[in-house]
Amino acid sequence: MAIESVSLFNPSQINPVSTTSKLSPSEAQADFGDFLKTAIQSVNESQKASDVATEKLINGGNIELHDVMIASQKSSISLNATLEIRNKVVEAYQEIMRMQV
Amino acid sequence: MSIFHGMNTTASALTAQRLRMDVISSNMANVDTTRAKLVDGEWQAYRRKSVTLKPLDGNFSNFLNVAMGSSDNRSVGNGVKVSDVKEDTETPFKLVYDPTHIDADEDGYVEMPNVDPLKEMVDLISATRSYEANVTVFNANKAMLSKALEIGK
Repeated sequence: MAIESVSLFNPSQINPVSTTSKLSPSEAQADFGDFLKTAIQSVNESQKASDVATEKLINGGNIELHDVMIASQKSSISLNATLEIRNKVVEAYQEIMRMQV
Repeated sequence: MSIFHGMNTTASALTAQRLRMDVISSNMANVDTTRAKLVDGEWQAYRRKSVTLKPLDGNFSNFLNVAMGSSDNRSVGNGVKVSDVKEDTETPFKLVYDPTHIDADEDGYVEMPNVDPLKEMVDLISATRSYEANVTVFNANKAMLSKALEIGK
């Protein structure tokens, strides 16, 4: 029996290949809902991390001041990005609602 | 590579510079310490400490990606970390004539720490400026991300 040699494979083979199957509107909606949920959750996580760091600092814990500041800045940027996306979504919704029927 | 990669790199540099500052504080505080270590029943003066830095290695996936030639985070570093805080055993102790000192030898000489306050001041300025430079990098990074959020406004 011949044994095939093991070849070095490409990272592209590891990375998930984009799905080519078509989604139904309800599936797309569910996917978008999930995506939004995880995105908002991650923003919430960063806010929580910032809170924990601040509390640790004021309680005299072993944490550097700059780490606290950086955590707060990260959460602020994440929140701003979320707001920006929300604004776009609301804008799109209003655009649809303004449609003449 | 997340959008906060640069910020994490800067954070590691800030931590390293803070540690340098702490070590300089220790050197300055112990400029007159004659009893730092007990060696063979005799007290030895404080030895000047210095910090060695080295680049921060990434995790396993970084190494794998680099080895496989992935275009993402190929040569982008992960930051800096303190590899060692070592004592200066090269520079000799300063001998000071003070027969009244409790640690003076038979001839009345005392071994004082090999800390040079002038050198420490220079290191202090260097650490402060590096810290400031890294804060500037952080602010530039933040300004860039904030600008990106203005796209399409």
